[in-house]
Amino acid sequence: MLPLSLLNAAQNKPMLVELKNGETFNGHLVNCDNFMNITLREVYQTSAEGDRFWKLRECYIRGSTIKYLRVPDTLLDAVKDEQTRAREAGRSARGSGAGSRGGPQRGGRGRGRGA
Amino acid sequence: MNKSKREAILDLSKYANERIRVKFTGGREVVGILKGYDQLLNLVLDEVEEQINEPEPHSRSLGLAVLRGPTITLVSPVDGLEEIANPFVAQE
Repeated sequence: MLPLSLLNAAQNKPMLVELKNGETFNGHLVNCDNFMNITLREVYQTSAEGDRFWKLRECYIRGSTIKYLRVPDTLLDAVKDEQTRAREAGRSARGSGAGSRGGPQRGGRGRGRGA
Repeated sequence: MNKSKREAILDLSKYANERIRVKFTGGREVVGILKGYDQLLNLVLDEVEEQINEPEPHSRSLGLAVLRGPTITLVSPVDGLEEIANPFVAQE
């Protein structure tokens, strides 16, 4: 599970980005590159103090200024499934490939949101 | 798939002659009309106003300016930008 694979899979998904200066941006990922530069749409910007808020149509953020990104945790399953499929596609070239689907499931319905 | 990552993920042509907001490392912030750009994100802005918040909010006119790409941390169109009340209170 590579950070940039996860980010690539997060396209069109909602995410929260916190910059090193403490500002946060909530929006849908439009695009990203290998520098972790990103473009977001329908963005809510929050000041570092958390007391002012702006709505932005879209924005571009330089990867080197990012502290972290929060992505939907369902993404983890999506990326794992994708990797499994890719592996099995490789295996099926040699034959077998019987049922190694359905690894450990994360999440579920009633989890808390976390503080 | 990864080929496309080699080109810029931000198509600045859509902001041509539009007013954009640019933030820099260090916290400075300007607003101006996009007149030109290159692949390093160096920008040419006209009618540039630096937005200063300390000690009190005001702006400083810089006219026509070249903004250096590597120091730019944020680019966003001014159109559609508005300060709003806390949009997250309902969710918490």
